[in-house]
Amino acid sequence: MASKLLALRSLISKPLNLIVNQTPQKLDFVYNLKSFSTTSVSNINFFNKLPAEKLWKSVTSVSNAGAKKGRGKGAGRIRIRDLNRGQIIGVGKVNMLWPGLSAPVIRGRELLKQQRLPDDPERMEKLIKLRDSMTKFRRLKLSPIERGWSGSRMPGRSIGPPDPVVDEEFTGFDTKVLQLRSLLIMKGTLGRTRNYQAMVVTGNGQGLAGFGIGKAKEAPAALRKAKNRAGKKLMNFEIYDGHTIFHDFFTAFGKTKLYVQKKNKGYGLSCHRAIKEICQAIGIKDLRAKLEGSNNLQHIVKAFFIGLLQQRTHQQLAEEKKLHLVEYKAENQNYPTVVASPEYVRTKEEIPKDETLDFIQYVMNDRVILRRKKFPRFFQTMPHYEIYLKKYEKYRNHEKIRLNLKAEYGEIKSFLNDKYPEPKEGKEE
Amino acid sequence: MSLLKLVQNNTKSAFFRCNEPKIFLISSRKLSIVPSIYDGEDPAPKFFSSGIQILLKRLTRPDFAKVFRKRNNSNISVLRTPKYKFVTDEELRMEKLKADKSADRLLQMPPVVKVHKPIDDVLSIDPALIGYDSAKYLFTDISFGVDNEHRTIIERDPDGTLRSCDHAERKRLNQIYFPMQGRKIREPLIFQDEEKFHSLLDRLQYEYVLDRACVQYEPDEPTYHKLTSITYQHIDLKSMYDLLRSTRHFGPLAFYLTWHKSVDNLMLELLQSADVREAVLLLALRQALHGDLSSGEESSALVSQILPTPVQLTKKEQLSEEDIQLDTKCIECVDKYINTNSAMKSQQGLALQGFREHYQQLVELSRGLKKAHGAA
Repeated sequence: MASKLLALRSLISKPLNLIVNQTPQKLDFVYNLKSFSTTSVSNINFFNKLPAEKLWKSVTSVSNAGAKKGRGKGAGRIRIRDLNRGQIIGVGKVNMLWPGLSAPVIRGRELLKQQRLPDDPERMEKLIKLRDSMTKFRRLKLSPIERGWSGSRMPGRSIGPPDPVVDEEFTGFDTKVLQLRSLLIMKGTLGRTRNYQAMVVTGNGQGLAGFGIGKAKEAPAALRKAKNRAGKKLMNFEIYDGHTIFHDFFTAFGKTKLYVQKKNKGYGLSCHRAIKEICQAIGIKDLRAKLEGSNNLQHIVKAFFIGLLQQRTHQQLAEEKKLHLVEYKAENQNYPTVVASPEYVRTKEEIPKDETLDFIQYVMNDRVILRRKKFPRFFQTMPHYEIYLKKYEKYRNHEKIRLNLKAEYGEIKSFLNDKYPEPKEGKEE
Repeated sequence: MSLLKLVQNNTKSAFFRCNEPKIFLISSRKLSIVPSIYDGEDPAPKFFSSGIQILLKRLTRPDFAKVFRKRNNSNISVLRTPKYKFVTDEELRMEKLKADKSADRLLQMPPVVKVHKPIDDVLSIDPALIGYDSAKYLFTDISFGVDNEHRTIIERDPDGTLRSCDHAERKRLNQIYFPMQGRKIREPLIFQDEEKFHSLLDRLQYEYVLDRACVQYEPDEPTYHKLTSITYQHIDLKSMYDLLRSTRHFGPLAFYLTWHKSVDNLMLELLQSADVREAVLLLALRQALHGDLSSGEESSALVSQILPTPVQLTKKEQLSEEDIQLDTKCIECVDKYINTNSAMKSQQGLALQGFREHYQQLVELSRGLKKAHGAA
């Protein structure tokens, strides 16, 4: 037993001795041609046989059926990364200095030698970070000034003035996209193809504006076509007092109905966003528009333009009615200003009994806007609201009093405070 | 006396503060304006006489665009959409009449009256009440329908004297029981603080100052007279009459200047802006107040011819023969005044000469035009 163990030990120790003893012999450098391995070493595998493109495809592709179900979209989606990004030839895991590859051959008067430099532990981290940054989905970020109605989408965005037509430049013009959508059309040879349709409005903000529709295979081409068509179809609109329309009007196109109201200075544009863009292109600053019926955008735009074109100026209205048109402004203490007078003015006897004399009713062509009855807020009918009103009635002027006291004394205090000062918290120590 | 109201007068000091003549010291240091008040002859009868009222209103030169301008102190915080109406000629005339009426209301001049006399009216002396209390007792009649002027307000002093209250106390109590909108019980800082008052004047906020003074003070208060006097003189020095034109304060300004015989600056401004008719009206006003002008009779006679003509807001392009006749008379009248009574002879003479030359050109132009049109 013991002999066996000894033999085993000699066997184990033998290779060691062999190595130790044979090392000086190996310095002769003899090729081992006799004992080569016959087992195949495969240096070609799945990963280096195929190009990166195909490899990535195998990871990211979704079956046709899956794509229809919506797979491969959204949060869990795998994205293709460019693993070559951030890698430089000559720089690897081991930080080596390769003269002529990663460093110059001669530095100063010294010939550089190939050598190992201390390892850069951060290199891999940097690479991973760079690769990670590629995987996250980044939205196209726009500055708030360039932004349209919604994110980076085209509607609402400005695309500059139309292209000049034979030396005629559109100075001072700006074009806004109102609609950009893709349409699918069937073709005999190609089957279903995609087409883009754009609707834009262009104007100089001083009464000159037009809209255009363009169709093309690509979105930018459609936009360009629409813009240039809009530039060729300019219309002139008179603006009342440089800020609003001449009178309220009703206009419709198809099932779209629009009630447009003239407003005072400073009111702003309270209307559909497309109408707002049109108004800005024309130069209208104050207006209210209520949309009824279909909200088809192209119909809205057409209805609004038709309405604007059908406006009558004050002089025209006065001539139609053969009466003076008088304006009353509340800020001018309702002083009657005659804005238009006809050549011949009718007398009271000449006016028929059933004639529409109300200005708004006349300009709306006898169409009456339905005004809904305003109901009290839900809490106003409840008993607690009355209690609240009674309770807080005595405080109703306190805010004003506080303000007056602050103006008079610089702080909130009573006239009795001089004689009977109130104890202050800080002084009690 | 339906209700006797007792005022425990432990805020005596506040009352005394009001009575101190601190506020009367207001005077412009930079411009050294000495306020002059109407304390001699009572100006009220002359100011309220219809002839002078008409003259003052005409001198105001009301421009409806300015009279009905947008005001910052109106109750409309947000502009409203204008309203429109179709009207016939007749209705338009009625609307214009209505507007004229409201313009009259907006241009109603603050009254110019004499400074009030202090009230010193002892009703009774009861020595038995001496030392009854350390405070004054104030009694106010707050029965309905009595106006502030004639309200009975009396005080019982600690020494047993029962007497009528003085103006300061009356005003204070009236304001407590019957508050007037915009009037403060304590004087606003802009009138207390000389620095602030003058900064307002330097910023040419004359209308604001005068409006505020009208609300805060009674027209017969000495403080009102001082403040308005300083403001008027400031305007006169800076020749900023246009700021007050078309407002209700121009009448009192013209009256003040005429009353104190310092119209020459205003006269110069009128001649420079080629308003020779208004210059004659100003002479007529002076004649009516003082009667010391050599050309007085003529100016008074011209007034009846000038008044029916419309107010001239812009410079005329064309002249009719009547206009030319009237203006020539006016020029003569003003010329006479400049030669005899004016204190700024050379400047006014130059201004009149300039106006004459300009006027001669205008006359030739309009006559030539008439000839060219074939209307003789």
